[in-house]
Order: sequence, then structure tokens, then C-alpha cells
Amino acid sequence: MERKEQLTRVFARSIRDILERAQVDFEQVQEIRLRVRGPLLMVSGGREYYLTGDGRLSGEMEQAHVVSREEIRETMEYISSHSLYAFEEEVRQGFLTIQGGHRVGIAGKTILDDGGIRSMKYISFINIRLSHQIRGCADPVMPYLYENGQVLHTLIISPPRCGKTTLLRDIVRQLSNGSCRQPGVTVGVVDERSEIGACCQGVPQNELGIRTDVLDCCPKARGMMMLIRTMSPAVVAVDEIGSREDLEAMEYVMNCGCKLVATVHGASVEDIKQKPVLRRLVQERMFERYIVMDSRGGVGHVSQIYDSRGSQLYRSERKAVC
Amino acid sequence: MLMKLGGSALVTASCAGLGIMKARNFRQHKKNLEQLRSMMVLLRGEILYARAPLAEAFWSVGNREEGPAACLFRETAARMQKQEGEPFFQIWQEESGRYGRQLLLTDRERLELQELGRHLGFLDLGMQERTIALYLERAEQSIRYYREHEREQNRLYTGLGIMGGLFLSILLC
Repeated sequence: MERKEQLTRVFARSIRDILERAQVDFEQVQEIRLRVRGPLLMVSGGREYYLTGDGRLSGEMEQAHVVSREEIRETMEYISSHSLYAFEEEVRQGFLTIQGGHRVGIAGKTILDDGGIRSMKYISFINIRLSHQIRGCADPVMPYLYENGQVLHTLIISPPRCGKTTLLRDIVRQLSNGSCRQPGVTVGVVDERSEIGACCQGVPQNELGIRTDVLDCCPKARGMMMLIRTMSPAVVAVDEIGSREDLEAMEYVMNCGCKLVATVHGASVEDIKQKPVLRRLVQERMFERYIVMDSRGGVGHVSQIYDSRGSQLYRSERKAVC
Repeated sequence: MLMKLGGSALVTASCAGLGIMKARNFRQHKKNLEQLRSMMVLLRGEILYARAPLAEAFWSVGNREEGPAACLFRETAARMQKQEGEPFFQIWQEESGRYGRQLLLTDRERLELQELGRHLGFLDLGMQERTIALYLERAEQSIRYYREHEREQNRLYTGLGIMGGLFLSILLC
């Protein structure tokens, strides 16, 4: 199914009509935002546009299609495949992943239960972030991920929306498939939010390589342990680490002969040193490579690569775009 | 005379056949309800245990069985997967209306089946469980009725068919 068609199907009929008429390259679309009584917004090619009722992209807010509560309700119905009960846990966390690996962020009124979030009602804000699979985007970093034929523990550091999941996905694919220089290795992916593999009924929709096993929708910490015990991977890949449980599981992975490739939010290695959970791993030089990304020069731009001692191995020459 | 006798035999045989067919429909009706009930139990399992979305759950259960009830489930799943912007209740209402006839359901049973779609998918897992439980309770009542009256109705339809045929033959002769 074409990306545009796949994506527009999750919207309310009226918004679907607008999107179908829109003359936009959906490969370039990064986000679509819906807010009750707010304008229909689209971020494409790094720029934000208002979508008008006849499907034009406009810079004028007055021309924008105004999203109604009914449209949000209908959209949620389709996003959840008429089965919101099946996404209780995801709703609690404020996001769902739809076919194609696109992440749908939601916000509304939370329902509390014993101090925790039980559910969410009056969902009034929806943000659909489109996933992008770019084969070959990890080509420049792959030579830095090996030493003496061995994969190295790697941490990808990047602010949000800079393409860290896209980079991780391609690294997984390349590690798994191997190349003429390096043989492929078994990779275990713990895909807590279904963003890496975009699994549909257990089958990854994104290409993750021929030696990759995916544990879909599983909490990272528990998933890492499970994979080690059951699938004996040579490399474990996880997205967006950060909790204390993640730390324990990562130490377990690193100390049992497996290699770890993970991503974390941040702008530099110094940022990571400030994080109470990850600081110790950096100080103890557990990670052997740090890949730092930013959005200068476009999404998915790798700005620096460091080794475990903090020596710079690579620095991009590109200047800031804005 | 021979023609008359032949005609009478044909009339009697046809009426008896009609009676037997009606009795068989009665049994088939009960079987269909039992199948629907067991499929609803499976559906409940798919929803509560596997937390499958409705389309996936319907498809999975529909593929385990055969007959019109299985077609109803598979067709509903297929329409949901097309994502053409139809509300679930509309899809279920149309499909259960269509297959309800093939399942030999009475108007009341068809209405109960359609009602199931009004609340399925709404709110949390508990709501799904209660919605299916309500349908199962109603289906159980119908099945109990059919079980209790199966022998009696069988005899009634078959006897009525044969006797009606004989009566007609006498009248015609």
C-alpha cells in the first residue's frame, strides 16, 4: 500500500479528503497535528504549514481547516482500529504506534488511579509523527562500529526529531545482513514502541535484516533479559533508554558477552554525563562508541563520533542550516 | 386412477419432505446458535487474553471455523481492515443482517446479534467482556429453548408434513 494511502486511512473522513487532495510528497512529511478547534498542521521538509479545506498548504492561519472534536473522536476510532481497549497501556503512556511504524502522540484529560495514570479521556490533541526508513543512512558510521571484527557497545545520542531511530534501524539492518567486510551477526531488537520494526501481527514492516529477532511492544528492561535467555543474540538493540531498570538490563547485556546498540535523548556526551542513571555507564567506559546527532544539515545528521575515552573519531564539516 | 394414486403419493412425499426440512432447519438453527456461542467465547479469549483489536480477533476466530458464522466473522474483519471510514457498528449491523438470514436466526436473535456491535470496541477490556457475556447469556437462553423443544418440534414438523400431505391427497382425490 502506498505510504499516502496507508497514512490517510487513519484520519476522520473529512480530514482524509483534505489529505488526499493535498499536493504533498508524503516521503517528506514529518508530522501532522490535530488540535480541537485548532488549525490542521503539517510539518514537511522541516517547515510547518496550515492545511486548507481544499487541501492546499498555506502559511495563513485564517485559511486553515479547523479541526473539530468529532473529527478527533473519529480519528481516534480509526487509529485504534475501533478497539481502544487493545491499546490501554499505550494510551496510558500517551502514544500509539500504527501500521507503518508511525507514532501517534495523544493528549487529553488523564484519569488517575492510585497515583498512576489509568487512562485518558477527552483526547483533544493528536500528533502523528511519520517514521522514515532510509536504507544506507548508517553507511558513514558503520566503519566506526567495529574493532578487530567485533561490534562495539554503541550509544546514539540525539535530540528529539533528529533521526536516531532511523539511524538505529539502519545500523540493525546492516549489522544483521553483514557486508563484504563484516559477516552478519544475530541481532535482537527490543521494540517497546513498535517504532524500529513497525511490526504488524508480529512481522516487521521495516527491513531489519535477515538475522534479526524482534520482541515487539515489550518493556525494554524485561525484553533485553528475555532476548538474552531465549534468542542468544550477538547484538541487542534498544531505542530511548533512560530508566533505572533499563540500566540494570543494559549492564546484564554488556556483561554477558553481548554487544549493545542503544539510543538516548541528549545533545552531547556531556549531557549524558548529567543524567543520573547513565552517568555511571559513561564514567565506567562501558560504551565504546558515542554517535552524536543533530539536525544541522538535515534530519539524520551525524555530527560527531567518540570512543570510550572521549577521543573524537569523526566530526562533520557541515555548518548549521539555520 | 393410477395417475391419481401417483399424484397423491407425490403430494404426500413433498409435504413430508417439507416437514422433514423444517425439522432439519430447527436442528440446524440450534447448531448455528451453538456455533455462534462457541465463536463468541473464542472472541472473548482473543480480546481478553491476546488483547487483539477487533479486526484481528474476528479474523482469527473466523479462520478456526466454517459455515456462515465463520463467514460473518471473516467478512467483518476484512471490511474493518480495508479502513474505508465505516464505523464498526455499521459494518457489524450490515454483515450480521446479511449472514443472520443464512444462519436461520429469528428477528429477535438477529437483533441481539446486531446489538453486540453497538458496544463492542467501546471503553476498556471489562466493557468488552460484559458485552460478550450479555450476548452469551441471551444466546444460552435461545439454545436452551431449542434443546428443550428439539424432539417435540422434530416430531411435530415431520408428523405435520406427513399428515398434511395425506390430508391434501384425500382432498384432491
